[in-house]
Amino acid sequence: MVVMSLLVSLAIFVGTLDEFAESRSSEINKQIVMNYEGYINSVIETANYIQFASFNLDLGRDAAALEAIYRSNADIKSDVVSVYLFDGSGRRLIGPQLDFGTGNDIAARPWFRSALALEQVFHFNAEPQTSIAENRDEGVIAVTKAVEFLDGGATEEGVLLIELDRQAISDLARKSNLGQGGHLLILDEAGALLYSSEPEPRAMSERSHRLAAGMYLGAERAVIGGQEMALNVNTLVHTRWRIVTVSNVNEINDARARLLGISVLILAISIALSAAAAGYVSVRISRPIGRLKETMLRIEGGDLDAPIEVSGQREISQLSHSFTSMVARIRELMASLVDEQKEKRKTELRALQNQINPHFLYNTLDSIVWLAEHKRNKDVITTVVALARFFRISISKGQTFIPVEDEIAHIENYLTIQSIRYVDRFAYDIAVPPEMLGMRMMKLILQPIVENAIYHGVGDADGRIAITGRLEDGRMAFAVSNTGYGIGEEKIREMYDIMRGGGERGGVGIRNVYQRLKLFYGDAADIRIDSVPDESTTVTVFMPAQPGQEG
Amino acid sequence: MIPTTRPRRAGRLGAAAAVRASLAALAASLAACALLGCASKEARVGLFLYNQADPYIEVFARQIRDESNSAFLAVQFDAGNSQLIQNEQIEAMIAKRPALMMINPVDRLASHALIRRLKAEDIPIIFFNREPLAEDMAIWDRCYYVGARAEQSGQMQAELAMSLFGNDPSGLNEYDRSGDGVIQVIILKGEQGHQDAELRTRELLRSFEARGFSIEILAIEVANWKRDEAYEKMGALLRSHQDRLELVASNNDAMALGAIMRMRQQGFFKDDDQSGKVDRFDDSWRPVVGIDGLVEAEESIREGYLYGTVKNDSLSMAKAMVELARRAIGGPDSGELHYRLQDEKYIWIDYQPFIR
Repeated sequence: MVVMSLLVSLAIFVGTLDEFAESRSSEINKQIVMNYEGYINSVIETANYIQFASFNLDLGRDAAALEAIYRSNADIKSDVVSVYLFDGSGRRLIGPQLDFGTGNDIAARPWFRSALALEQVFHFNAEPQTSIAENRDEGVIAVTKAVEFLDGGATEEGVLLIELDRQAISDLARKSNLGQGGHLLILDEAGALLYSSEPEPRAMSERSHRLAAGMYLGAERAVIGGQEMALNVNTLVHTRWRIVTVSNVNEINDARARLLGISVLILAISIALSAAAAGYVSVRISRPIGRLKETMLRIEGGDLDAPIEVSGQREISQLSHSFTSMVARIRELMASLVDEQKEKRKTELRALQNQINPHFLYNTLDSIVWLAEHKRNKDVITTVVALARFFRISISKGQTFIPVEDEIAHIENYLTIQSIRYVDRFAYDIAVPPEMLGMRMMKLILQPIVENAIYHGVGDADGRIAITGRLEDGRMAFAVSNTGYGIGEEKIREMYDIMRGGGERGGVGIRNVYQRLKLFYGDAADIRIDSVPDESTTVTVFMPAQPGQEG
Repeated sequence: MIPTTRPRRAGRLGAAAAVRASLAALAASLAACALLGCASKEARVGLFLYNQADPYIEVFARQIRDESNSAFLAVQFDAGNSQLIQNEQIEAMIAKRPALMMINPVDRLASHALIRRLKAEDIPIIFFNREPLAEDMAIWDRCYYVGARAEQSGQMQAELAMSLFGNDPSGLNEYDRSGDGVIQVIILKGEQGHQDAELRTRELLRSFEARGFSIEILAIEVANWKRDEAYEKMGALLRSHQDRLELVASNNDAMALGAIMRMRQQGFFKDDDQSGKVDRFDDSWRPVVGIDGLVEAEESIREGYLYGTVKNDSLSMAKAMVELARRAIGGPDSGELHYRLQDEKYIWIDYQPFIR
């Protein structure tokens, strides 16, 4: 982009500078032409003034006055060598003494003849010639015009001659600056070279003259003497001459190169400034925004505690502030959500724990009544004691976690009650390693499973229930197995469904246990059901091993 | 509206710029064509004026544009009395390839270079108002001049005066107030050295001489074509020559009107015969003749002060120029030429005498 714009501006600059070079060479030409025009006009004015002053003066009566007018005009202007009035045959009427021998051929001179041939205009003759005045050797340009004068009351026609010092033309040329090798030419109507400002030896004039010979107006470019030159041609007022200025384009190009350099510098500086401005904007806006974005991504990723930087532009810091307070609000909301969830889980747990089967109490009380009726006092005592203990542990002062030992005691109480009720219908074993007894576990986990085993598994008279505990990969595992017919694959799948909340019928106990375990331990806890047909069914409960806690 | 433009730059060096400018001009003219419809205006003609500040030229240019209305599109340039500027304008116009150029040169001698330049481009030229030298006109057969013969105005002015004095040099009528058989005249000259001033003055005097009228020049005064200057200078002249004055011949109308203003203050132009108006039958009336045919001059003639003027018939010139241009662009078959084309180059439009 930057390079593109650089190139485009360069192209425009070069184009503009080309035009600049062209218009400059044309301006130089115009300036020079104006200098010459000013000069020529002043000469014409002099001639007109002489005529005007001579008005109504008669050569016969006022010769002295006329002489004075001519002389003074020649004297006033330093570049006017002499002023003459000749009659129609070339005889000198007014003006300084002629050089010896020139008096005879005045009428034959080109400037004299052309003045009479075309009366209305001034004639400029720049052929190499020296002044015709006595003791004057300057090279001159002859300016002539046919005029009328009074002589003895009669109007006669004659020729007014003003000799201009050729030097005046060179002086004017010197004022102009056409660059290295630059020069100016003055060509007459036939294209002949009247004047060249190039000093001798004229290395370039010849070629520029040849080129200019075919040019009458306008401009062209050419290589002259190894230099690139611009030729500009213009007319010269009151003459049919042309001024050709040959100016060195390379010098203009040098100026152009300088200008180009400056332009490039300006361009570079502006690019640098733009870059600085962009950098500033980046530092003040983009970078803070970038940091804010990173922070947002981290927060989006879940890191609500990621620090939020508040700096940069006012807008950015406002944004950061808003974001900070928003994150704080989210944190609050999340914390309260977690609290709510915890609370909810506690409530649920409690509710589940409290789902002690009322049938169990009713049945137990029923069997106590039955035992009392049969006067089995000992069994009544045993049952009532076990029931009391059972409830004490169930309540556990409202605690959710109890030592494994208490849980086992709880099952023992339960089994005691049940074994009295189902007289000798089953036997049971409890085997838990001593190191497990001190650990803590969620209470009332095993009782529903044992209850299940009694109701569903014990069919025959000599049924057995075995409760074993073990430590396995940092988890506690309690297996409750019962002898019996076992259960099929389908029944096992149905039980898993029930545990996970599917299905409607039965199994309230085991589902309660499963949900409590999952609610608290999540994936760390599980229940597995294994069955060997016609032999046994084992339900194993896994939960994290929690070290015991004194006090 | 015709644009008056001063191109910033001229020359073949500026070709690229010129091409760009001409493309823009082309686009603009195409747009104009689309809007206005200009099947007959495809040809563009450059109209170059020496100085638009000259009221005569301004009117003249308008007449040319009006006449060219259906023939071509005239693009007007004002040189502001600078040949340098005109050269630039012509160079710029060359790049736009006009069908023809109508040029009123600032410097008649510059015509030499202009003819050479445009001959190389084969763009025909009609010069007007300032006549190039005959030898320059001979350079090319596609350059023309439309104008009046400057000497004719002086001759015609003399004729106006001579007919007032009775057309008989040996028997002047009552306007020879002194009865001496000689007309005492004050001549107001334009600019010293100016071609027209010199020619008009010379031809005036030569015409009297040729017809055998005796005149006595009380004074020839240069008033630079200006009304104010003539008014000023006439004051001094009247103090010396008031009693003998019989005729005032002025190189143009403006100076004639200035002279009349002064003469009225000095007691001329009174209603001596109580006719209710000033006219040439009043004793204090003196003939004043001008040249140009300004509107004010015509008014003055109708009011009875100015005796007569010689009108430069610019309307006929404009018509002739447009007819000639049409032929130069489209060949001899493109319309009739109602004016005589002398030497296949010159159309001379006669001055028109104007009296009451």
